[in-house]
Amino acid sequence: MSLHDLYREHSDQIQFITIYIREAHPVDGWWFGKGFMNILLKLSGSKVSWDIYDPKTIQERRAAAGDCAQSLGYGIKTFVDEMDDAVNKAYAAWPTRLYLINKEGTVVYAGGPGPFGFKPGALEQAIQNYLAKE
Amino acid sequence: METIRNRKEATAWKNRYDTRAPKAGDPAPDFSLYDIQGENPLQLSSFQGNKPVALIFGSFT
Repeated sequence: MSLHDLYREHSDQIQFITIYIREAHPVDGWWFGKGFMNILLKLSGSKVSWDIYDPKTIQERRAAAGDCAQSLGYGIKTFVDEMDDAVNKAYAAWPTRLYLINKEGTVVYAGGPGPFGFKPGALEQAIQNYLAKE
Repeated sequence: METIRNRKEATAWKNRYDTRAPKAGDPAPDFSLYDIQGENPLQLSSFQGNKPVALIFGSFT
């Protein structure tokens, strides 16, 4: 199940929040567009991987977050981590991560760091388990 | 936190922060953030007693 499907199915019961954090693989960072990956990216026609630099100001970060939200089209409202990366650090969220927090403010699901720990299916299961106990 | 430039820096970052990440049963660290227009501040704790929250962290790349 995709995040979009999850949101569509549970948005009346769960508040979904996207938090845009520091870029994972910008052109000016740990970029995969070098060597053999360069050829693969060109063949794939990927635009994102060539254009995205790590934002240096909060204005740039908000603009990138807006582009990201528009591109993904989840419909989930996006909020933007500040340039001190405080929320990213508090949740060890880079490069991607999922959490479910109950109504008491306690974590009930903490996904692993992405990309390998980023599992929307596991979040879905956690949501279903949580709602079944409600 | 600076732009992470390679696997070594990524591993160092994860080693530094991952052990501090909240786990199931831990209180979720509260925060207040603005939307993409820099408006409409959102406080995580404002949902307490009201609605559970799914947090989705990520970026474009």
